[in-house]
Amino acid sequence: MKLLKLEFYKCRRRRITLVCAAVLAVELLWMGAFFDRQSAEDMRWGWMLLLYNLAMVDAIVMPLSVATLASRSCELEHRGNTWKLLETMASPGGLYAAKLGWGALVLAALLALRAGVFLAAGVVIGFSGPAPWGRFGLFTLLSWAVSMMAWALQQGLSLRFANQAAALVCGIAGSFLGLLSLLFPPALTRCVPWGYYGLLALAGMNWDEATRVTSFYWRWPLPGDLALLLAWTAVFLAAGRALFLKKEV
Amino acid sequence: MNIIETRDLCKRYGGVMRVAHLDLDVPEGSVYGFLGPNGAGKSTTLKMILGLVRPTAGSIRVLGERMEGAGRLAVLRQVGSLIESPSYYGHLTGEENLRIVQTLRGAPEKSVGEVLGIVRLEGQRNKKVAHYSLGMKQRLGLAAALLGRPRLLILDEPTNGLDPAGIQEMRQLIRDLPGRFGMTVVVSSHLLSEIDQMADHVAVIREGELVFQDTLAALHGRSTHHLALRTDNNERACGLLAQRAVPCRQEEGWLILPVLRDEDAARLTRFLAENRLGVVRLEERQKSLEDIFLELTGKAASL
Repeated sequence: MKLLKLEFYKCRRRRITLVCAAVLAVELLWMGAFFDRQSAEDMRWGWMLLLYNLAMVDAIVMPLSVATLASRSCELEHRGNTWKLLETMASPGGLYAAKLGWGALVLAALLALRAGVFLAAGVVIGFSGPAPWGRFGLFTLLSWAVSMMAWALQQGLSLRFANQAAALVCGIAGSFLGLLSLLFPPALTRCVPWGYYGLLALAGMNWDEATRVTSFYWRWPLPGDLALLLAWTAVFLAAGRALFLKKEV
Repeated sequence: MNIIETRDLCKRYGGVMRVAHLDLDVPEGSVYGFLGPNGAGKSTTLKMILGLVRPTAGSIRVLGERMEGAGRLAVLRQVGSLIESPSYYGHLTGEENLRIVQTLRGAPEKSVGEVLGIVRLEGQRNKKVAHYSLGMKQRLGLAAALLGRPRLLILDEPTNGLDPAGIQEMRQLIRDLPGRFGMTVVVSSHLLSEIDQMADHVAVIREGELVFQDTLAALHGRSTHHLALRTDNNERACGLLAQRAVPCRQEEGWLILPVLRDEDAARLTRFLAENRLGVVRLEERQKSLEDIFLELTGKAASL
């Protein structure tokens, strides 16, 4: 707990709030531009359309956002040569867990705020039907879970390499693959860690080739996909932690 | 009592033995100088003592406890350290940096002000460390090491990057620590003169091997006196001296003899003259600490 509190203390003046605000602003602008182009006919899908597209925007925006936040958290240790000081006062495992906990809380706050903002936006725009609080809650939880899987990968890279270019390039590649994987068949999407933003979306889309009409529907994530997400997370956590613990300062 | 004891301590990187079979004994309450040329294995040894680097073989005891497993951090609560370059968060102020260390060490809050006073950084406490000079960063590192009044302080090349005034100040501070706070200080350096001015015990390491360990007085004791003699035929003189049972060796055009009493020296010169040998120089010499360091390490006194 002491180490976790110190992570927040250390991130003073690291403009973490600004990074989170930028992530939120990009998602709002993206979605604003998208809804601005929709016809009244399309807008009747309201909440479904919002959650379907939000999952897609997450797949593009979140990988790089997670990489940036993880890098901000880990880089300050490399830059200040602080490992050799910290590891005389705390165990490497504790330091790894504190950074992971910090990421989990920052991402939870960011995604909870994001849910609130988009719920409010949906109400203001006047989407038909009652606001799907439960689905929004579950969507936020799933976004957080996928983001934590990406965080485990990014934290491993940011801790392993002092030069943050490797971690950030991975984040950029993640954003690109996250978008691309939406076009993959599900079996292939399951092999792309960042593809789980789309894979676990709570709204699906049907496009009828004959009538050229698009329709949306509610769906639930497959238990197998949730298990695979957990497996990816476990692999990244185990590998990242082992590499960090093995490294001598 | 020894506050640090290492036995047969080894560290291998790849195929190279960087630290080999080191048996260090650091007496409590001493300023223990750890001397050796750059790359001799000083930092690696100190990192192993702190548990930052895993030894390939051997054992380490600090404050009587083995530095292994979960007990390591409990021992290190009583150890302050400054290894190589100072550790700091540049975007935080000096005081904020110390608050982090104070929280982790579980030291009282007021200790931050105290250590800032000891290293004379009170006036810079609210300045971001990124804007500190190297000397100020080094002093901040020392302040962090002093937090919680540790029993043992391990300082690796603490005067690196300091200006002459800063070096003098740091040396004075290190010399005073055992008396003021009852601390034992292990200080490494590649400068013989620096250790000579700070330490009362000294260990000399060369290519990972311990070549000397004793009090500084014992090291000074090695600076033996001898006579240097030059004649117009050193070869013949050496043979004649051997006949008179005077040990003698030739070195760079000189004959090196043990120190003789005045009357023996006079008798010796007369004896050489009677044998038609001209004495052109006879002088008393003392082996300097630099010479001893050179002998021990095979390198010049400052490398």
